[in-house]
Amino acid sequence: MPDRVLIAIGTKKGLFVAEGSKARKRFELRGPFGSGVAVYAAKIDTRGAPRVYASSCNAFFGMKVLRSTDLGCKFKETKSAPAFPKEDGRALANIWSFETGDTKKDLWCGVEPASLFRSGDGGDSWELVAGISHHEHARKWHPGNGGLCLHTILRDGNRMHLGISTGGHYMSEDGGTTFAAANRGVGAGFTPDPFPEFGQCVHKIAGHKDAPGRLYMQNHGGWAEWDGPGGRRPDIGVLRSDDHGKSWRSIAKGLPSDFGFPIIVHPHDPDTVYVMPHEGMTRACPGGKPAVWRSESGGESWGRLANGLPKKESWFTVQRDGMDIDDLKSPSLYFGTTTGQLWMGRDGGEQWECLFDSLPPIHCVKVAQL
Amino acid sequence: MASLPAITVRLPGPLRSCCDGASELSLSAASVRAALETLESRHPRLHKSICDETGAVRRHVNVFVNSSHVRDHQGLDTPLARGDVITIMPAVSGG
Repeated sequence: MPDRVLIAIGTKKGLFVAEGSKARKRFELRGPFGSGVAVYAAKIDTRGAPRVYASSCNAFFGMKVLRSTDLGCKFKETKSAPAFPKEDGRALANIWSFETGDTKKDLWCGVEPASLFRSGDGGDSWELVAGISHHEHARKWHPGNGGLCLHTILRDGNRMHLGISTGGHYMSEDGGTTFAAANRGVGAGFTPDPFPEFGQCVHKIAGHKDAPGRLYMQNHGGWAEWDGPGGRRPDIGVLRSDDHGKSWRSIAKGLPSDFGFPIIVHPHDPDTVYVMPHEGMTRACPGGKPAVWRSESGGESWGRLANGLPKKESWFTVQRDGMDIDDLKSPSLYFGTTTGQLWMGRDGGEQWECLFDSLPPIHCVKVAQL
Repeated sequence: MASLPAITVRLPGPLRSCCDGASELSLSAASVRAALETLESRHPRLHKSICDETGAVRRHVNVFVNSSHVRDHQGLDTPLARGDVITIMPAVSGG
């Protein structure tokens, strides 16, 4: 039985680690680690002896991968960070995602410019994954507002799903060797073709181990009122697939906006999914009134969760990796804001409280129970 | 064959952990590019902190020879003379 909860909080000024008991009444904060340097990606690997990984993206001196083997009390740089071969011509600009592989030391890493790396030794050495990094589409992808980033790595047995902004959703069915674009039903508001083969600005993809084949996607929505070339493109922002990502359909009906960044699934119920709708222009909750929205029907209907959250005048953004949920019997939801607050929503988001209110701007929140 | 000029490379605090804490390194090189190539072979982590994978000096890193920025001379092909000092500095950015 887990007896504590660990939260890795990646911020503009380094990584913080919060630790609390499973009651989640009080959290002790450690850090910043990699002080002063932005952290966009973190991963807590709870298998065996736990490891915490974090990116450390130094605008001056380049990218590092930090690793902790003592639950985030101390971090050390791994022996190397992902790097493109010299002849590739691209240079690493940021690290956006980590995902664990089959073995304890197998680690995947998504970077900017959008490419995938794999380590077989826990992050000490890295190899470029050619199937996506040298994909025939790769040089046609364009950077979104956050850069050209491979931000989502989702593994489901031999299948692997990647989210790229702006590249779209790519899928491998051979364990990550070859990839194909899989974007049927995934719209784009910024291209003449509203449903291109690739090039969508996917924000995040989530799945659940008990519902193989089902995926949820937060895509770049907010085009319902667009009156430019191509006309309105409503409801392209929140999507669901029931065929392993080969095709997608809108589940945005009932949401105040189909724009947003994170999307996560309840750990014990694949029908329960959470988003945080933002307005496209402000990148904040509609009207400055923060709320998480929950569907308990796989996206058929949605309800607003805001008890304890500010009722007005809150114009923060929650970024694509800024929300997570723990795995306890009655799970708590967590989100971090660009104004440096870390919120926890007990009972799956029913009641919110601010755990920390003056951290640096938060890029990512990853939680695990130990 | 003339010997290569002996020069010094001075490092800022954040980079010293890449070369066992040294604040200065002595080496011989005829140009800034050659000096960086020597750093790449002797101290690869240090070189990765100064240059990206393409070999370009990172955007927020400045390289000086004595008191002049290399961009005001011949960039990485700026020639070096005996006793020259290369100084690596983080660029001042932000407010």
